[in-house]
Amino acid sequence: MKAFPIWLILGATLTFLIGPFLIVIFAGLSAGEALAFPPQGLSLKWYAKVFTVESFRASFALSMFLAVFGTLAALILGIPAAYALNRYKLPGAETIRTVVAAPIIVPGIIVGLSLLRYFVVPLNVSILVALFVTHTALVLPYAVRVVSSSLNNLRADMEEAAVILGCTRLQAFIKVVLPNIRGGILAAFILGFVASFNEVPASLFLSGPGVRTLPIDMLSYMEITFDPSVAALSALLAFMSVGIVFLAERLLGFSRYV
Amino acid sequence: MFLNRTEGLPLALPAALFTFLVFLVPVGILLSVAFQNVGGGFSLQGYVDFFAQPLNRTVFLRTLKLGVLVAAVSAVIGYAAAFCIVSLPATSRGRVFGLIVLPLMISPVARTYAWIVILGRSGIVNDVIVGLGLSRLPIRFLFTETAVFIGLLQLFLPLMIISLVSAMENVPKDAVPAARVLGANWMQVFFRVILPLTKEGLVVGGTLVFTGALTAYITPAILGGSKVLMLETLLYQKVNVSNDFVSASVIAMILIVMSFSANLLLKRIATAKR
Repeated sequence: MKAFPIWLILGATLTFLIGPFLIVIFAGLSAGEALAFPPQGLSLKWYAKVFTVESFRASFALSMFLAVFGTLAALILGIPAAYALNRYKLPGAETIRTVVAAPIIVPGIIVGLSLLRYFVVPLNVSILVALFVTHTALVLPYAVRVVSSSLNNLRADMEEAAVILGCTRLQAFIKVVLPNIRGGILAAFILGFVASFNEVPASLFLSGPGVRTLPIDMLSYMEITFDPSVAALSALLAFMSVGIVFLAERLLGFSRYV
Repeated sequence: MFLNRTEGLPLALPAALFTFLVFLVPVGILLSVAFQNVGGGFSLQGYVDFFAQPLNRTVFLRTLKLGVLVAAVSAVIGYAAAFCIVSLPATSRGRVFGLIVLPLMISPVARTYAWIVILGRSGIVNDVIVGLGLSRLPIRFLFTETAVFIGLLQLFLPLMIISLVSAMENVPKDAVPAARVLGANWMQVFFRVILPLTKEGLVVGGTLVFTGALTAYITPAILGGSKVLMLETLLYQKVNVSNDFVSASVIAMILIVMSFSANLLLKRIATAKR
């Protein structure tokens, strides 16, 4: 094939995939009051306004908290599980694998509803705890998978050598295994962070007065108001996730682990 | 030294127990709701009632239809794009591939929101249509099946392209030129050479796109609204508007069964490969 149709097809595909997003960036730059493209004059006022909306600030803080600590909790549960599944012939390993992977298969909206009805209400748990638990469970499968693939590339002889030379199993893990799977752990963290931060369906039912994740807050904001601030916020968030992933790729070759 | 089988259990059990207790148990209870009658005995009445309502049937069929359509169209575009990507030199291939993956990192809310700007009453498409005099009044695109279809396609197309690119990388470099030299036209090259060699990638991509479209909430919520309900948005309505947990449980079961069977299929393909 000649070069021309190749670039034509790829150009059209990329325009379809990325073009709408560029439009959002520009719609957020509008100086007018209503959402429109091309924007009516250029200004940064909507980008600035985003930072002054109280509910956005609160929900941004909540989403950050969930993404950071939910992912950390998932790693604390997931790293030992990945290690055990990799290094031991566990009885019931297949069952454990299936249970841990379940959150990927069950659609998020069902998870949120179930937790609200049969965890939050009967046990009188706060919405915040339920959100934290949900985000941890949703990120856990990624943590186990990415750390596992990183462990797969690490030969078990090194730990055996450490144990023979007098380390306890725990010391061998901390001194030999952990430094070697550092990259995989960081990759799992980034993947989990982005997944948790962008999560909508499971958090949909798990929102109460003042407790709302940022994407849910944006959804309800755009139902009421049609100004360009959601466009500006969308653009800012996208720069954040793309920036994080880009840095990760540059610094540690992120895509090797995913 | 790693033969002591049970020694590793305390490491893996916390994760499994956590997911089981806070995740599977509540979901299990929700699913059981539709199988109980008022007295608590077993009954399928919830399912019968659900499918007796025309609206529910419409939404169920629409969800299936959109899932299949999105998967089919993304397969067509995906093959064209993947074929172009693998024929690029290595450096530009990496860059283009990066751009294809990029949207997956962006919040689906942001990606779907873009279509309001494009398809809305004062959006770009309507500006062009009214500006060219093709129609006197703006045409309604939002809250139609077409809008939902476009939104879903844009959301999930990258998954199809990724699967097809990795499948096409396994097609021997000379296979296509060889078929051409031997007199095959492009149709024959596709159906007799490329398709059989990339079948697995097509199934993987198709399943990912189909289940993704089936279980998407944001796109039908923003672009379909209450006019074009899909199963997920219907579930939300059943709970928040009509407080109907039996129907919610039925929908949950449908979604889980479809998502689970798709995953079984994927697993089978993955193990068959090895």
